[in-house]
Amino acid sequence: MNRLTSKLQNLKENNKKALVTYLVAGDPDLDTTLDLMHLFVDSGVDVIEIGVPFTDPIAEGPTIQKAHDRALKNNISLKMILELVDKFRETNTETPIVLMGYLNTFISHIDLVQSIGENSADSILVVDVPGELNLQTYGITNPNINTISLISPTTKDDRVESIAKNSTGFIYYVTLRGVTGSSNLNIEEIKNNIQKIQQYSDAPTMAGFGIKSVEDASTLAACSDGIVIGSSIVEMIADESKTKEFGRIGEYLREMKTAIS
Amino acid sequence: MTFSNSNFPNKEGFYGEYGGKFVPETLMYALEELENTYNKLKDNKDFIDEFYKDLSHFVGRPSPLYFAQRLTDHYKSGSIWLKREDLNHTGAHKINNTVGQILLAKYMGKKRIIAETGAGQHGVATATVAARLGLECHIYMGAEDVRRQSLNVYRIKLLGAHVHPVDSGSATLKDALNEALRDWVTNVDDTYYIIGSVTGPHPYPMIVRDFNSVVGKEVIEQSKDLFGKMPDAVVACVGGGSNAMGIFHPFIDIKETRLIGVEAGGEGVSTGEHAAPLNDGTPGVLHGARSYLMQDESGQVKDTKSVSAGLDYPGVGPEHSWLKDIGRAEYVAVSDDDALKAFHEVTELEGIMPALETAHAFAYLEPLMKELDSSANVVVNVSGRGDKDINTVAEIDGIVF
Repeated sequence: MNRLTSKLQNLKENNKKALVTYLVAGDPDLDTTLDLMHLFVDSGVDVIEIGVPFTDPIAEGPTIQKAHDRALKNNISLKMILELVDKFRETNTETPIVLMGYLNTFISHIDLVQSIGENSADSILVVDVPGELNLQTYGITNPNINTISLISPTTKDDRVESIAKNSTGFIYYVTLRGVTGSSNLNIEEIKNNIQKIQQYSDAPTMAGFGIKSVEDASTLAACSDGIVIGSSIVEMIADESKTKEFGRIGEYLREMKTAIS
Repeated sequence: MTFSNSNFPNKEGFYGEYGGKFVPETLMYALEELENTYNKLKDNKDFIDEFYKDLSHFVGRPSPLYFAQRLTDHYKSGSIWLKREDLNHTGAHKINNTVGQILLAKYMGKKRIIAETGAGQHGVATATVAARLGLECHIYMGAEDVRRQSLNVYRIKLLGAHVHPVDSGSATLKDALNEALRDWVTNVDDTYYIIGSVTGPHPYPMIVRDFNSVVGKEVIEQSKDLFGKMPDAVVACVGGGSNAMGIFHPFIDIKETRLIGVEAGGEGVSTGEHAAPLNDGTPGVLHGARSYLMQDESGQVKDTKSVSAGLDYPGVGPEHSWLKDIGRAEYVAVSDDDALKAFHEVTELEGIMPALETAHAFAYLEPLMKELDSSANVVVNVSGRGDKDINTVAEIDGIVF
């Protein structure tokens, strides 16, 4: 079974919520990204989402956009990211890895995506492909890779069902109208919509976009199968990119983990 | 009167293998809402009447098809006709599309209008129609373009709209589009996004094409009246490609007319420093559509270079990519230097100062008129007037005001 699927199933069976965290590969450099991935795991993270940098990341707010820009200054490519995952797997074969990015960077290296083996990345989340479209259409047929689709507050009911069917990893519920890192969570709307998704699908539903505080995390975890934290981590990475003193990130993640437990 | 009888795009928004809807999930419902509204209204008599009435009385259509005597004499062959989109209200073809889209916004009850702009012409055209309906308007513009198109920035502000300079990436048109999309993702409930070219996710390339096709339809009628047959060639500049698509589209089935799109060759296509994806790009996905794109081997979008802000864009409308692949339209490129030369030439010979974008189309007359028969009728789409470019041209000529 796919590493991501079995991990999430395992958590669910034990009545635990998943902590998913995001970082951009190569921000500030690949060695640091590798260290951060291990730090994430040591701090209680269940699933790591690696942002694949793109020049035109239209779903990202300023914080993650800037991280993409910094990574691109280091000429980070999908090939380098898969090598990074290989290095991570040398000491960690447990933690599922999701590659999150934009269609153009994946289809430019379809050969690489197709060659991803069992002991590498586990899932792909393409932000700019509508959920009911099958990634197979774009040549992504690798059986080692499952796919994650997004459902947003504006997704109509009829589409929720078809998107849920196509999502083999988990369903990523976008908790707000906006780009990554926005604020103003509408908790009632989120609760209702996640309930609706769960009527249509047994796939785990993660809540993400705009989660910053321990309170947000705790409230959202209560009505989902887990939470995704992105911008606030990326911001902390940027703040300490010179000193590389990331103790605060570990602390923050442990607090989050406690909040959702 | 209908807008278009085209079989393209298909239901999913594809022109052959180009186009589609590659957007974050939050926008899917907004695109669907827009498509449903448009499909309902495009055959609605009241809507069509209102659109054409606005084009007549607010824009000043039809624009003339004008015989360029001295330019014709200059090339000593054929006859050169100018489709005078520069005479439209606000000075460019861009107003045709904004007049149509603001009507869609009105019918959809949207209170807030956003748009991206490169040269500023689409920003002015959007701010103009928003002012006319009293709607809040926000224009995203690359910081580099804000600098080189300061006159249009001021015009947009005078019209009561807010200008948001965009510093990210290359600080030009593509980055303005990214930022407008982000605004739309955030404010999707009450906001209408008026895309300014035949780019972006479906249904935009179709809607912008249909509204701007009034240009080509007029040329067909005017050609019959003025020289009794269809033109041998229609020439238009291509950035995103809306002015070219507007004039090309009604001609697609008129096979005797060559359709020639002129891209921005910048420092020269062979240098790689240009904005000519149809000449030197490969298919990729940017801003919601698959189309020819200037990208590196990792799928990262390349920075572009052109003296003309309106053509300084790494992508192109998907229908152009399709017309290129099926061979129905030809796409060439001319350099900054040749475009500037044509700018001066047309200004001096015809008393018409073209936009730098348009000057690219004029520059291609040099090789084209040599190649065509001496009886050939050639139509150049004068997509906009050049007042906005005076600062750029003066700077290049070393003139300080």
